[in-house]
Amino acid sequence: MLPLVFAIGACQELEQEVLDGVTAEDIANSNNPNLVNVLKASAYSRIVGSWGGHNSIWSIQEVSSDEMAIPQKGADWEDGGQWIRMHKHTWNASEESFNNSWAYCYSAVGEINNLLIQYPDVASLNAELKVLRALVYMWLIDSFGNVPIIDETTTGGNPTNATRAEVFAFIEKSIKDNIALLPETSLKSTINKMTAQAMLAKLYLNAGVYTGTPKWAEAEAAADAVINSGKYSLSSNYFANFSERNSGSTENILTLPYDQNNAGGFNLPQMTLHYLSQQTFNLQEQPWNGYASLEEFYNSYDATDVRRRSFLVGPQFASNGTRLIDISAEANDPDGPPLTFTPQINMLAPNAFRQAGARVGKFEFALGAGSSLNNDYPLIRYGEIILIKAEAALRQNKPAVALAAVNQIRARASMPAYTTLTLDELFAERGREMFAEATRRSDQIRFGKWNQPWWEKTASQPFRALFPIPQNQINANPALKQNPGY
Amino acid sequence: MRNYLPKLKSLMLAVVLMIGTIAVANAQSRSISGTVLDARLGDPVPGATVLVKGTTRGTATDLDGKFTLPLQAGDQVLVISFVGYLNQEVEIGNQSSITIRLEEDIQSLEEAVVIGYGSQDKKEITSAVVGVKPEDFNRGNVTNPAQLLQGKVAGLSITRPGGSPNSGFNVRLRGLSTFGANSSPLIVLDGVIGASLENVDPNDIQSIDVLKDGSAAAIYGARGSSGVILITTTKKGSKEGTTNVNINSFTTLDQATNLIPVLSAEEFVARGGTDFGSDTDWRDELIDDALSFTTNASVSGSFGNSNYMASVNYRDNNGIVNGVGNERLNTRLNLAQGALNNRLRLNVNLSFTNVDSEDINGAAFRYATIYNPTAPVFEDTESAINRFGGYFQRDLFDFYNPVALARQQKFIGETKTALVSYRAEFDILPNLTLSAQYSQDRRNTLSGAFWSLQDFQVGIGATGSAQRNTFDRKQRIFESTLRYETDLSDKLNMTLLGGFGLQYTTNQGFNARVRQYLFDLGWNNLGAGAIRVGNNTDVSSFANQDQLNSAFGRANFNWDNTFFVSASVRAETYSGFGANNQTGVFPAFSVGSDFTQIFDMGVFNQFKPRVSYGVTGNLPPSPTLALGVFGNGNRIDLDGDPLTQSDIFVGINQFSNPNKDLKWETKKEFNVGVDFGLLNGKITGSVDYYTRNISDLLFNVPVAAGAPNPFDPGRFNTAGSTWVNLADLRAAGFEFVTSVNQIGKGALKWSPTVNFTIYDKTTIESLSNGELGFEELRFATPGAPGQNNNPIIYNRVGQNLGDIYGPRLNGLTESGQYILSTTDPNEFEKLGNGLPKGEFGFANSLMWGQWNLNFFFRGAWGHDLYNSYRGFYENGDPGSNTWNSVITDKTPTNPLVTSSPTFNSSYVEDASFVRLDNMELGYNIKTNSPNLGSLRVYLAAQNLFTITNYTGIDPEVRTNDSENGDAFTSALSPGIERRNTYFQTRSFTLGVTVNFK
Repeated sequence: MLPLVFAIGACQELEQEVLDGVTAEDIANSNNPNLVNVLKASAYSRIVGSWGGHNSIWSIQEVSSDEMAIPQKGADWEDGGQWIRMHKHTWNASEESFNNSWAYCYSAVGEINNLLIQYPDVASLNAELKVLRALVYMWLIDSFGNVPIIDETTTGGNPTNATRAEVFAFIEKSIKDNIALLPETSLKSTINKMTAQAMLAKLYLNAGVYTGTPKWAEAEAAADAVINSGKYSLSSNYFANFSERNSGSTENILTLPYDQNNAGGFNLPQMTLHYLSQQTFNLQEQPWNGYASLEEFYNSYDATDVRRRSFLVGPQFASNGTRLIDISAEANDPDGPPLTFTPQINMLAPNAFRQAGARVGKFEFALGAGSSLNNDYPLIRYGEIILIKAEAALRQNKPAVALAAVNQIRARASMPAYTTLTLDELFAERGREMFAEATRRSDQIRFGKWNQPWWEKTASQPFRALFPIPQNQINANPALKQNPGY
Repeated sequence: MRNYLPKLKSLMLAVVLMIGTIAVANAQSRSISGTVLDARLGDPVPGATVLVKGTTRGTATDLDGKFTLPLQAGDQVLVISFVGYLNQEVEIGNQSSITIRLEEDIQSLEEAVVIGYGSQDKKEITSAVVGVKPEDFNRGNVTNPAQLLQGKVAGLSITRPGGSPNSGFNVRLRGLSTFGANSSPLIVLDGVIGASLENVDPNDIQSIDVLKDGSAAAIYGARGSSGVILITTTKKGSKEGTTNVNINSFTTLDQATNLIPVLSAEEFVARGGTDFGSDTDWRDELIDDALSFTTNASVSGSFGNSNYMASVNYRDNNGIVNGVGNERLNTRLNLAQGALNNRLRLNVNLSFTNVDSEDINGAAFRYATIYNPTAPVFEDTESAINRFGGYFQRDLFDFYNPVALARQQKFIGETKTALVSYRAEFDILPNLTLSAQYSQDRRNTLSGAFWSLQDFQVGIGATGSAQRNTFDRKQRIFESTLRYETDLSDKLNMTLLGGFGLQYTTNQGFNARVRQYLFDLGWNNLGAGAIRVGNNTDVSSFANQDQLNSAFGRANFNWDNTFFVSASVRAETYSGFGANNQTGVFPAFSVGSDFTQIFDMGVFNQFKPRVSYGVTGNLPPSPTLALGVFGNGNRIDLDGDPLTQSDIFVGINQFSNPNKDLKWETKKEFNVGVDFGLLNGKITGSVDYYTRNISDLLFNVPVAAGAPNPFDPGRFNTAGSTWVNLADLRAAGFEFVTSVNQIGKGALKWSPTVNFTIYDKTTIESLSNGELGFEELRFATPGAPGQNNNPIIYNRVGQNLGDIYGPRLNGLTESGQYILSTTDPNEFEKLGNGLPKGEFGFANSLMWGQWNLNFFFRGAWGHDLYNSYRGFYENGDPGSNTWNSVITDKTPTNPLVTSSPTFNSSYVEDASFVRLDNMELGYNIKTNSPNLGSLRVYLAAQNLFTITNYTGIDPEVRTNDSENGDAFTSALSPGIERRNTYFQTRSFTLGVTVNFK
């Protein structure tokens, strides 16, 4: 029977063609001379993304610290109470932002591991990828602590937690084993020898928190390596490091090269600005009126400190100079309808005033900005390396070295030099210098201030120094154990 | 698969002629003469039997339908009968001439039921298959073939919440059979599998057959899980040797109905809302009564071995909101020609449809309800004129003038659908037929979108933006079958069918969007947009293709019209399955027996219990899911210097994890039913009970990000989720339908049909596969402002799919604050379920002389809806006063709710309803013209009234979440009425149908 003959033929294996993408096989078979660069770009593409967006690593680091909050304005920003919990340190393992942050990091780890498996022989690429992976693990160790170590040699089923000390060792080894193979360049958007040194400085700074054993001398040595390289210097204008066109900054060591058109994900104008601020900056989209700084933190700046311009406060105007009027300002808001950002926030929830709170203005909002900024985001900058050196020295009881370093930072901010330096002063100086650069949480933990009460937050328990392993990840991988206390 | 109709007809004719001869031989002095006509068409009925009741004396009508019958003393009543018509009895009295109009016997015409790859006598059917004829279709302005069946078939749920003429219908057969994109039944149009519904105009449909159970649908294998709807278009004239010209033209008036009550301007200000000094009824500003026009014209004829039907259908449908509507032109040509003494038959079906549609931003419906009633539409200030084109706008969160929104944004689409299908059949032997069919179905959509320079929502930020995109789909199918029928003994008949099929599908499209215009040129000049990268811009394209090969066979046995057995199997190989699982096999078996052939069943003339079991499948939603295709990552400038461009690369990132084991979903369905007929077919009906187990559902499950991928050994997960086959669902249901054919007194005839379904709602038995999976899946947050985080639909293992969870409202404090049972999402209670416990339809057809009246009720019960309007806009807290408030019967007024809106039990309402869905009053004008076959005028109304306690827009069942664009989770969040729902409409249609001969 004819149909039967065809029938036998019909059910043979069919090859699925892909018309608008590539498969792992296509990539393996490619001999395009740009392939290595494209693969590199692919790895960095994973890192650039939504790091600086809402619900991201940046969000959980900032909102849980005493630098920022997202006040609830009636129904607006209630959002199931997630951001109130984040501020009050009462978060649980199911917060969406934790899972987003985790998945962001581990998707990058997976992509990098696949590249390492596929191209074991391209040494320069491999070294760079392994250090890039270590960078991702630095976010993981800081936020979640006891995370699984997955590298290109991992096999088998569900990965299990490593201890935070093991993760520390893995990061340290990844950087040290590969540093010699890294390029000598001083590009800010990719990993090079000095980036690796700067990463080590940051890692050792928190060694005490991560492993129980401080490594101040190692931190200082790594910071010195960067300083002595002569490749970086403090920008005379602090804000040049955060401007829309900051790729020429002499201070930024490693940045996420955001681009509003091609590499989006840094959504700060939407996250912090008032709805009406759209007219101030001629923004392409209406902002969400969310993130604001705490009054106490704002007040930690001296009025003459140039860095106080990191905040938007006071009367707000449209780009044509007319005063902005918020007709929906709350009836009991003493500032009334003319839009004025006040450092004071009347309450965290449920009825914060719409215009309350100093806004994050450290990163330039260019006129006509989109919801994603063009400003490259500095993950590590020379100013921080100097502060690492200062702190490492001070903790090793070398106050002169520490003072010399910290006064460079103060001088640039038009602040008088310190003649003596306490740890608390250094902590405060770090806060002023590093505002909105996602280091405040680690600093508060390292300086023992994390569990103390602050505005709208009572004292929290020690286990809150680690975020929980996201519940979704435990659901997907039952071999994962939750962090203690959760 | 034998059609007994022709045989019966010839037998009847022979009997009639014989009787006629006898009658003539006994001619007596008194006689009666008359004419027998078709009541509907007015055509003569030749060959009809005219008998004197209680005797064997009678005659047959001639070619003109005329007869003369000698009478004897005592003859009182004539019985007129003919195959395909209802018997009619006529008092003789003193009449010597009489005209009899025979009504078509609808039940009898239904005898042949279309099943996959052929048709079968209804009495032989052993699975749950329902045929629906045009007489039973819904009335009024029906633009979509699915709408014809709404409420007509037990277990077939067809919904379109709101009244937008551009929305499609959600079609579900026997509840949910998959989470995925293919939750609607497979459409088979004149044998073309998976054809677009756009290809066919409702006016050209001859019959629709629904394959309800797994056994019937299994012949369509991996595409049959959601059931199959077979649509057959008209292919020939209504009578041999004639040409028919049919023209049907109607006008429809649409009006908005059931608008949610809101505060007046004064009440709004009294409650603390900002007073802008005007008094505007925003919905009034947006809504207008709309007129739509439709004309269908067709020519059909049958001459020997040639049959044809050609039609043109034009529909101009306008929505009640200016800027919403569509214009549709559908043309069709069906040709059939026999050759070699009709041993070789060629069929050509061609159709072309063009639909031009326009739409507005759906948010305009929400703002029209809740925008500040004291705001004017226009404002005569320099700023308003310069910035907003004169429209009143204010910089507030989520606050856009609905009239401006509807006018300053535009969305259009032009869809061209063409279906060509060729089928050749050749009788190798009288009982051995080879057939081959090739079809190509193409659907090309060109869309445009436009945001004016002065559009406050998007246009101002983007300084004007416009978009063009295309989506083209092409499906080619080649199928060939061989059919063999034989009598194995004098009592046992066997039919065998075998075949194979090849199907290729290609999808492709591109999208371009730019911004920053100087003039509002829109999509006609994208080059005028200065900015072509970044926010509100896009340049992209996509394409994919797949192949599906099938082989299938079926055997049917009929033993003495008493026992019936059917068995089938289909094997399918799909390119989109994972390399480790490329071929699925889908068997089915069914058996039935007509007990009236064995036992004396009294009033029953049919009592056929049947049992069936079948396995069907569902394909993955995209053919490349198994592969983990690399997509475009960010564009990375490797040296960070924007001035050097040779080092800028687009990252290639694997955004989905490969799964080499990916395969079809499997549904196993068991069905037991009885078809019955009583009182000689006066009452017919059927009862069905089914249970279905669905397993290996395709689902994108969270996996350990970065961990080794078990479905692609040696590589790591680069995405947080993988498409995996998992989960088990169980569902069951009971279906009942019964019709009574023409009861009544004298000329008044009433034919009611009732159908209902009782669902045993889908239970989630598991959401896992090994270690992967979930105990619970939560979906659907109420949304912005402020209710973005807590999903309200929990799908829990062991529970029903789509349960609504939230805190219970235990009352209000004196100051109007919520007293909620909990704020912890893990302690939320089950508050309801969006899927119905049952659905019903109640159709009535009344005839009285030339008049006919059809009215149809339908409804659903036992389903809940989250009323989003109440959930966001009935509270009186200061934050809520930016917007107007709704004041439904269920809105607390003393005290007003003063908390910020938070989802709770009070917003979940029982949405059971009964609706007078449509009714039609028609009148057949008597005509004696030789050219005019019939002339009918009718007045129809749709959605006349709804009885419900629900206080939202439309109590219609929501099977999907309209704000969840992910086809794979949308079905997991039923029961939410979103705020952008189009207003309900009520329609009145006046039409005329003319038939020329």
